[in-house]
Amino acid sequence: MKSAVILFPGMNCENETIRALDAAGLKAELLRWNTKKNLADYDCFVIPGGFSYEDRIRAGVISAKDPMMDRIKEESHSGKLVLGICNGAQVLIESGLVPGFSNEPQMALAPNMNPEFKGYYCTWVRIKPNMKNRNAFNMLFNEGDVINVPIAHGEGRFTTKGNADEIRSLIAFQYCDENGKVEHSYPTNPNGSMLGIAGLTNRQGNVLAIMPHPERASFDIQTKAYGFKALGLNFFRSMKKYIEERK
Amino acid sequence: MGDDELAEIRGLSDSELKDFLRKNGISLAVEEARRVVELIGRNPTLTELNIFNIQWSEHCSYKSSRHILKMLPTSAPNVMQGPEEDAGILHFFDDGKDKYGIVFAHESHNHPSQVVPYEGAATGVGGILRDVLCMGARIIATGDALRFGDPHGKNRNYVRYIGNAVVDGIAGYGNPVGIPVIAGDIYFNDSFDENCLVNVVCLGIIKESDIIHSRAPKNSEGYDVVIVGKATDNSGFGGAAFASLVLDEEDRESNKGAVQVPDPFLKNIIIRATYAVFEEARKKGITLGFKDMGAGGIMCSSSEMGSDAGMGIELDLDKVHTSMNLPPFIIACSETQERFTWISPPSFTSTILRIYNEEFELPKIAEGARASVIGKVTSEKNFLVKHKGEVVCNVPINVVTGGIRYDRKKSPRKRSLSEPSIPETEDYRSMILNVLSHPNVASRTKVYSHYDTSVIGSTVIKPGLADAGLIAPLDGVNVGVALATDCNPKYSRIDPYWGAANAVAESMRNVAAIGAVPSGLTDCLNYGNPENEEAFADFYEGVRGVADAAKNIKHKKTKEAVPVVSGNVSFYNESKSGKAVDGSAIIACVGIIDDCNKAITMKIKKNGSSLCYVGERKDELGGSVYYDIHKELGKNVPMVDFEKEKGMIYGVIDCISEGLLLSCHDISDGGIITAVSEMILGGDADGKIGARIALSTGIRTDKAIFSESSGFVFEAEKSNVGKVKAAFEKYGIKVNELGETGGNELVVNGGISITIDEMRKAWTSGLKEALE
Repeated sequence: MKSAVILFPGMNCENETIRALDAAGLKAELLRWNTKKNLADYDCFVIPGGFSYEDRIRAGVISAKDPMMDRIKEESHSGKLVLGICNGAQVLIESGLVPGFSNEPQMALAPNMNPEFKGYYCTWVRIKPNMKNRNAFNMLFNEGDVINVPIAHGEGRFTTKGNADEIRSLIAFQYCDENGKVEHSYPTNPNGSMLGIAGLTNRQGNVLAIMPHPERASFDIQTKAYGFKALGLNFFRSMKKYIEERK
Repeated sequence: MGDDELAEIRGLSDSELKDFLRKNGISLAVEEARRVVELIGRNPTLTELNIFNIQWSEHCSYKSSRHILKMLPTSAPNVMQGPEEDAGILHFFDDGKDKYGIVFAHESHNHPSQVVPYEGAATGVGGILRDVLCMGARIIATGDALRFGDPHGKNRNYVRYIGNAVVDGIAGYGNPVGIPVIAGDIYFNDSFDENCLVNVVCLGIIKESDIIHSRAPKNSEGYDVVIVGKATDNSGFGGAAFASLVLDEEDRESNKGAVQVPDPFLKNIIIRATYAVFEEARKKGITLGFKDMGAGGIMCSSSEMGSDAGMGIELDLDKVHTSMNLPPFIIACSETQERFTWISPPSFTSTILRIYNEEFELPKIAEGARASVIGKVTSEKNFLVKHKGEVVCNVPINVVTGGIRYDRKKSPRKRSLSEPSIPETEDYRSMILNVLSHPNVASRTKVYSHYDTSVIGSTVIKPGLADAGLIAPLDGVNVGVALATDCNPKYSRIDPYWGAANAVAESMRNVAAIGAVPSGLTDCLNYGNPENEEAFADFYEGVRGVADAAKNIKHKKTKEAVPVVSGNVSFYNESKSGKAVDGSAIIACVGIIDDCNKAITMKIKKNGSSLCYVGERKDELGGSVYYDIHKELGKNVPMVDFEKEKGMIYGVIDCISEGLLLSCHDISDGGIITAVSEMILGGDADGKIGARIALSTGIRTDKAIFSESSGFVFEAEKSNVGKVKAAFEKYGIKVNELGETGGNELVVNGGISITIDEMRKAWTSGLKEALE
């Protein structure tokens, strides 16, 4: 099983993303924005974090218009998994792939609203899987799981002018407190995201945009000093299981 | 010579020459300009004069400091590369097949940060990343030591502006490039009101066989000189010379031009493309020379690479990719950011050009950016530079790089110091809370949260969670690298020797407190004007303090000095009125831990465990936070007992390695009571377990709890206290029992009690109040 990590210029989380994918058995290959390789040869696609095109105009906008995204869209239409983490999530939202109601952006990842920390904010947060929306990215998590993960972004507030109810059913992960309770206020919700959304899928459930970094909480060595369990790898293992079952 | 006339120095009188130099923006002294004529045997061209202006600046030549730095221990069994190149390398790990090293460099960007703080700090980060990358390494972490003015003093508005903009600049550069910040420290005091310090440390990892040297390879006649990066412009022209002058507030606007313009986006891509060049060269077995373009630009990097290999260099400035029409001396000497120089055999040059220009599309990424061939290595041993078909520089290459030396005079500063007579505090509760909210003690989370501390995914302990940050840089290997930076400026104000010695000791304690063995040091020596005898004496004493501490607190494994593998000297740090900043030998210590899983943080882990400390509490409150709150400096600065310090450090490392400690924190700013408070709070201020302690020493209670004499506080299971005592006993260190963990408050000597919430509020508010 092969995964492709798609690097747009300015992204910088390829190392940890590849490490986690490899560990989950989704052997990862790094593809640059201008690659001539055939995307049809890969089982899933991951757009990592960073500052693609130096966040010009708005985070993710330029990459969303890169010809590479048309190729990714085409692959996603065949049901292949596409994951965007942090800046990758911003690209997926800006390209309209998530929530995927139309070919235009329907949501935004707006600047964080946080009473304590303005702008870019790096810290550990907790998220929980939405058991009502079991999908390719959270299927191996259990009811009651509280996942400790880092965030590192300035624009991570999911927001929409559209119908919140429609969005609600697409939530894959939400910010929560240590007991797994979803709270919409700081500090549980670090950026003011609507409905406490940390990760959102498209309607088909094969594309996920997630702001926290599960790849930075996938190994004991990344979480031990904080006294957390490294649950992040389940995220990538879920993807593998899904691909296996689909084949 | 068209654009580049000969400077008619020979016929000029001293005063005429002085005017001529000023008019042309040359900071060489009159006698230095005459020395140029003498060395090359004729009047120099304007380009040549500019070259010497930069090469003989303090920043490039270390003309006042080089011979004094010889006091430092730079060789030891664990040194793979000493301080001769852009970065030093410490032995890290053997996997039976390959030997890995930690690349380690430290730079200051003080003047640029004072003038244009965002760009100054950002390009400081940019420069240090290049120093590490150009050794052939993968960049793995950075740390930042920052010194700002008094946030509550007369210059507070500007101080706060600078503080915030420097932090934003570090974040604005390091975050996009994608290098985690894992360590750093911040001090505020009035000596930095008009001259902040911004020191940046960077770590990289490399296999010994992959090291690339910053010189032309052997027998490299005919090799190409290739430059890569941003199009050369006139930004940062004269930056090195600017760093070597006293800052003049009136020149602020004109000095802005000497500060470079950062481009982290381009750097992100150049770094990745450069990794690809490393990989290709290794695959093909090609030996290259690679050097960062920092101070002195193309001229400095290419001449040093040639000269260090005993070769000459010939450059054609018309081949340099520039963003505008520039005179030759600016093309040669501009400090435009995000550039490197390669020396490559002609057979490999096309690969370098392909990787940068086509695979990574530099010309499409940033306007004018690319890799270009601009010259050749020659056997002539000359530094020959052409521009529009004319020779604008032709000087023996060793004369360009040979530098000059000054034997500066030093005379110890007259200090009128005395111990204050402060009555014993009546309200200990308030005093402890005041100490916790002091800007030099308060939680640093406010700043660290702006930095990406976990990118690359190797971070084990983020900054602030323990006394040192920790990363595991090799996938699947549990050996870790710890990093800490230190230097309490007020100790140096009282005594520059002990200030520097304490900085070394504290940085070593900090890495030991997580369980790592202090293994190597870098020093960034920030002092006043070396032409001032008192400032130079401060510098001399500082170097002596670093050397003594590094030689005496020996490496636990090699039993030899903890080596100083790289460093930097920054002079001319002073106020408008000529008052030097508190001399600051800012030390970064790298520690190595065999198993990251054994590393511990400072937060108390369990109810009902025992709290103990080592390190006698002495009446050494000179420069302490306690005295500062009383607006006193004092006289009794902490003096490091090297033997005891070594014993405490060894004992802590042994105990952590045997799993005997649950948490550990060194005793420094704010004394033992602050150490215990911070252990209760934990680095993220989310601690829930209090402590009940009792301290009985031979000195007054306020002095005992606020004394900053060195030591450690640690938490151990009660059943393990005997074993802990025995472990320290081996090194002649007495372990003192301090109390027990539990409850939701800190109780001291039965009478004083403070809730965790009160402590949290004080500790987390101090930095916010200092920066907002």
